[in-house]
Amino acid sequence: MLEDYFRQYGLIAILALVAVAVPTSMLAFSWLASRVGIRPANPTPVKLETYECGVETIGGAWNRFNFRYYLYAILFVIFDVEVVFLYPWATKFIRLELFALIEMGVFVAILLVGWAYAWRKRDLEWGS
Amino acid sequence: MPGLTDNLYLLTPEFALAGLAFLVFIIDLLLPEERKDLLGWLSVAGLLGVVALSLVMLPGKEATLYGGLLAVDGYSLFFKVFFLGLGVFIILSSIDYVKLHLNHPGEFYGLLLFSILGMNLMAQSRELLTAYISLELLSFSLYVMVAYALNNAKSNEGSLKYIIIGAFSSAILLYGISMVYSALGVTRFEGISAALSSITDLRPALWVGLALIMVGLGFKLAAVPFHMWAPDAYEGAPLPVTAYLAIASKAAAFALVLRLLSEAFVPAADRWDQWQIIVATLAALSMLVGNLVALAQRNLKRLMAYSSIGHVGYILAGAVALSTDSLLGANGIIFYLVGYSITSIVVFAALIAFFNATGQEEIPDLAGLADRQPFLAMAIAVSFFSLGGLPIFVGFTMKFYLFTAVANAGYLWLAGLAIFTSLVSLYYYLQVIRQMYIQPALAAPATDAADGPGEHPPAEPESEHTHTPSHHEPSGDYEPLPRPSALLLVVMVLGLVAVVGLGVYPAPLLELVEGASAAILPGG
Repeated sequence: MLEDYFRQYGLIAILALVAVAVPTSMLAFSWLASRVGIRPANPTPVKLETYECGVETIGGAWNRFNFRYYLYAILFVIFDVEVVFLYPWATKFIRLELFALIEMGVFVAILLVGWAYAWRKRDLEWGS
Repeated sequence: MPGLTDNLYLLTPEFALAGLAFLVFIIDLLLPEERKDLLGWLSVAGLLGVVALSLVMLPGKEATLYGGLLAVDGYSLFFKVFFLGLGVFIILSSIDYVKLHLNHPGEFYGLLLFSILGMNLMAQSRELLTAYISLELLSFSLYVMVAYALNNAKSNEGSLKYIIIGAFSSAILLYGISMVYSALGVTRFEGISAALSSITDLRPALWVGLALIMVGLGFKLAAVPFHMWAPDAYEGAPLPVTAYLAIASKAAAFALVLRLLSEAFVPAADRWDQWQIIVATLAALSMLVGNLVALAQRNLKRLMAYSSIGHVGYILAGAVALSTDSLLGANGIIFYLVGYSITSIVVFAALIAFFNATGQEEIPDLAGLADRQPFLAMAIAVSFFSLGGLPIFVGFTMKFYLFTAVANAGYLWLAGLAIFTSLVSLYYYLQVIRQMYIQPALAAPATDAADGPGEHPPAEPESEHTHTPSHHEPSGDYEPLPRPSALLLVVMVLGLVAVVGLGVYPAPLLELVEGASAAILPGG
């Protein structure tokens, strides 16, 4: 059984090879095409700009992000995980007993402490 | 088969501890800034409550929870009370320091409580992933606590190194766990021992996995050659956190390693014979490198870091002596952990008192401490003698038991090396004592006029001490230090009483220790 399990890594290895081969072959083909003269080469500043979802780029790619994004991400993860647990619990709620309700209450209460902590420490306010 | 939640009540102390930690965090939100030291007292009271709760509820209980992930037995009870007690003493010695030097006291105590919870679970877990999660609960709290001196570059540097090495070693540990699982299909300790003793074809994956687990734990223990993070993390951390790193986190890692070795490796006798050599090599390297490099240190925290690496070597030597038919090795290790922790608490309480008074932490700064603050000098001297292994202190007794166990297991060279490196360690301990007792105090800095109101009368009991003024000429030119605060005095006095008491009369503690080690080595 474990051998079968390890064999699956072979598939992953093939996938990895393909994943490397596709972009490499594209670049190689493009380079070849330019050598043969099929591909015209006339770069303009607009063409050479970083692609930013199609809109005009603002600033360099090396600017710093506000540290607060990180806090928001962490808070987001807290509630994300909460939903991951709440969802299966909610679908089976009818069949679960009182114990499960209490357990979920404890779980949500613990997360609430974290949230209240972030609120009280003014991490939800952008300005300060 | 019993349900998973049938005996959940046996975890009441853990639930209470987690509740206490949350309570500290919540109350911290409500308290005004100047009343925050209440949180320290609340933590101490809560920890004592949890100790009482465990002592009332758990003695004599033998059970496994969650289908064998956690064990409630004599071993876990012993370590639970031990860790909670250590927590009490660490908090008592840090209350003053936190008030003077650190911001955010609420989180300090809350994180400390969470890390104690992690340590308790480490001593209880009988399964690799549970052990790993408990270890991470401890480590995460420690990463933050090491960086607690926010504006101190060294603290940040130490914490950065600690967190990177910690994450790295966790990855190695997890990878090892996954390899072992792929080879054996189990992660429970008793499953591993059963599989190890019955397996016939030795897959490389199994050996690589077990080796990676040992390497990962070696990083956590700071055993040579996985020790490089320790001195920087110790030096950068605020002193109470250094104490906590050196004492509690080390004891917890050993509680985990001891249970892992005794339940997973030692019962598979053939394989354990091969593994003993590896543990013995780690032990020998740790003793040699820790003690020899300690000779060159000037900073007290770095000195304690290298000395603790040396002590890790001794305890690992004890781990070599583990076997199914003798409790000597396990007894020696647990007794050593207790003795080492108590002694180190005295050292660190004294260093914290010294730092609170002077803000200094280099060895030369201690010059003339015997004149400036005789009690502090005495506390440091006694506990260093104990760490060096001189008799009538607990350090001698613990080394005696441990080294006897090592020699009995047939590892005479290791026991010999341990004794030799103990002698080496005595040299750098005595260097510090020489600074305090023989070296004259540095001339008082020209700030005499500045400390008007806080001025203390020159210590009068000077003359009563058997102290000959002949060995330094410029006598009287020192500045007496203010007395350590009452809290630190209490910690030091209790610690010193225990250091001497356990050194002279270790029998009661040994009885408890034997009960604890019988729980993990039932054959002994």
